Amino acid sequence: MARIRLAGIAKRFGAVAALEKLDLEIADREFMVLLGPSGCGKTTTLNIVAGLEEPSEGQVFFDADDVTEVPPHRREVAMVFQSYALYPQKSVFENIAFGLRLRGMPSDEIARRVRGAAEQLEITHLLERRPSQLSGGQRQRVALGRAIVRQPRVFLMDEPLSNLDAALRVSMRTLIKKLHRQVETTVVYVTHDQAEAMTLADRITVMRGGVVQQIDTPAGIYDRPRNRFVAGFLGAPQMNFLAGEIGPGGGDFRRGDLSLAIAGTLQPGRKAILGIRPEDCAPAEGGPADIEGRVTLVSPLGSEQHVNLAVGDAELVFRLDKGLRVAPGDALGLRIQPERLHLFDAQSEERLEGARP
Amino acid sequence: MIAPRLRRRLGRGLLLGFFSVLLVAYVAGPVAWLVSSSLQTDAQITAIPPNWLPPEPTLANFEAIFGAKSEVVTYETRRQGDPATTRFLPSGAENLLPSLANSFSVGLWVALLNLVLSVTAAYAIAVIPFRGRRGALYAILVTRVIPDIALIVPLFLLVRALGLVNTQTALVTTYLAVTIPFTIFILISYFESIPADLYRAARVDGCSHVAALRHVYLPLALPAVIASLMFAFLTSWNEFIFALILTQNVAAQTLPIVISGFVMDFTTSFSFVNAAGVIAIVPPVVLAMLFERYIVSGLTAGAVKG
Repeated sequence: MARIRLAGIAKRFGAVAALEKLDLEIADREFMVLLGPSGCGKTTTLNIVAGLEEPSEGQVFFDADDVTEVPPHRREVAMVFQSYALYPQKSVFENIAFGLRLRGMPSDEIARRVRGAAEQLEITHLLERRPSQLSGGQRQRVALGRAIVRQPRVFLMDEPLSNLDAALRVSMRTLIKKLHRQVETTVVYVTHDQAEAMTLADRITVMRGGVVQQIDTPAGIYDRPRNRFVAGFLGAPQMNFLAGEIGPGGGDFRRGDLSLAIAGTLQPGRKAILGIRPEDCAPAEGGPADIEGRVTLVSPLGSEQHVNLAVGDAELVFRLDKGLRVAPGDALGLRIQPERLHLFDAQSEERLEGARP
Repeated sequence: MIAPRLRRRLGRGLLLGFFSVLLVAYVAGPVAWLVSSSLQTDAQITAIPPNWLPPEPTLANFEAIFGAKSEVVTYETRRQGDPATTRFLPSGAENLLPSLANSFSVGLWVALLNLVLSVTAAYAIAVIPFRGRRGALYAILVTRVIPDIALIVPLFLLVRALGLVNTQTALVTTYLAVTIPFTIFILISYFESIPADLYRAARVDGCSHVAALRHVYLPLALPAVIASLMFAFLTSWNEFIFALILTQNVAAQTLPIVISGFVMDFTTSFSFVNAAGVIAIVPPVVLAMLFERYIVSGLTAGAVKG
C-alpha cells in the first residue's frame, strides 16, 4: 500500500520526448487508470513507476520515500503484462512462487501463499502445468497470481486484457475489480480501452503525446471533458462535433441554418466547436425540435439503435430507444438540453464554459 | 509403361540421391580414409592400388601411441622401418598423450571463461540500455576483421614480454580473444529474441541483473549457451598457428602441434600420424553427437523468433 507521487517527470529517448513534465498523485489504495492512444506515454509512465526506466527529469515518491534511484527489484511493486510474460521453463506453481523464492521465504510459507492465490483465482488445478499448456485467460490469471502473492506496495498493470477475446475481457475485468477490493493495494492500470478505464477506475488520467490531458473520475471525464481530444476519446459512438460560431446574442451556437441554445452565454461571434454525445437527445415526437434532419442510416443493436442524421452539411450519430420506428429517408426531430452540450474553442480546442447571469 | 508423373518423381529421386552421395563422399571421405589408414601399416597405406579398407586391421598404431613413453627414439630406431610392424616411432611421440591433456585443459578453460565473459557482456549489450551500446558491439566485432596471421608477431612479442611464452595461460587468453567476439554476437541475437516483457517481469519480481541472467536468460538461452561452449572448445582444440608460435615444448604444446611434428625431414609415418589424427577427432565428434540438438537450434538462433 502506498501513495504514489510523480513530480515533474520528463522522459526523452534521444530527441524524442515521451513524457513532458508529468505531475501525478495517486492516492493510497486508489485504482488509477492511465488512458490514451498508443504512443501517448502511458507505458513509459508505468515503467518509470516500476523503476524499469529512469526518468530524464523529476522524482518518483512512494509515500514519503524518494524511490527515483531505487532499482525495480527493491521497489516492492508487482506487474501484470499484456503478453502475460510467464517464465516458459517454469511450472505455474514456480511462476507464482518465483518472487517469493527470490526473497528467501520458507518453502512451506510459499506453498501456503501460492495455494491461497491459486484458490482465489481458481487455477489450483493448473499449478503443475507449464504456461504453454494454458489458454490466454488462464495465463493472465497466473500472471495475476504471481502479482498478488507478493503483497506488493503497488500493482502495475500494462494492458493486461488486450490480448484476450471480448467475452473473456469482460469477465477478467470483473475479476480485477474484485481483486482490487480484496487486496486493497494501489493500482496503476494502463489501457487504451475506454470501456476498461470507465468500469475499473477510481480516477482516470487521459494522456496524449506525453502530456496529461485530464485527471478526474470516470463520470467527471465523461461529463465535463476538458478538451476536444478527451471528449472524442471517451464514449462510443464518439461524440458528434460541429464547427460553427456563437450567435449574436451570445446564448446560442450557430452553423448554417442550425441554431442551438447553450447554457450560459459566450462572447458573440466566437468560433467554437460544438460537441453532442449521441445519447444526449430525445425524440421531439411532434413537439418543437432543437435539431431536425433526415435519417441516412439505422443500425439496430438489440438494446438500442444508432441513427445517422443528416443535418445541413453535417452527419450526426444519435443513440435512440429501440422502440422508436425510423427508416432511412425519414425526417426526424430531436430535443436537446442546453446543459448537455459541450463547447470547445475552435483554435485551442479547450473546453468553453458559458458565463452564468 | 511408366506414367510421366511417376517417371518425373523417379528422376528427381535419382538426382537427389546422386548428389547426396557425392556430398557425403566429399565431407566424410577424408575422415573415412583417416580411420581406415589408422588401422593399416605404412606399407599397406602407400600400396598401389590403395587399400580402401584395411586388409589386415591392426591396432598396433594405437598401441604404439599409448606405449610411446617407454620407447627410446634415436636415429637408428627410427630407420628400422614400418611403425605398425616394428614399433617405429617418430621423435616426439612420447609427447602425444601430454599434449592431448594440454589440449583438453586449454579447451576447457577457453570454453568456460569464454562463456562467463561472453554471457555477461552479451546480457549487458542486449538488455541494459546504456550510452555507447552500439559502439561497444561494433568495437567487439571489428576485432574479428583483422586476420589472425597479421597479429602473430606483435602477439608473440607481447606474450614474451609478459613472460608467458610456452604456457597454457598464453594460449587460453589468445583463444578467448578469438572466441569471445563471435560468442557475444551469437548470444546477443539470442537474448534479444527473448521477449522484453520477461525481463521486465523478472526485474519487478525481484531479480537483480545477475539474478535475471541466471533465472531467466540462461535457462531460456540454453541452446545458444551449449553451442557457444562447444564452439569455444572446438576452436581451441583445432587451433594451430597461435599454438605453433606461442608454445615450444610438452609443457604447453597442444595436439595439432605435436601431430604436425610427426611429419619429419627423413620419413613420415602415415600410419602413426593418422592414428594420432583419429584420437584428435574423437572428442569433437563425441561432443557433437551429445549436443547435436542444441547446436542446431543454437546456431539458427535469432533467425526466427521462437
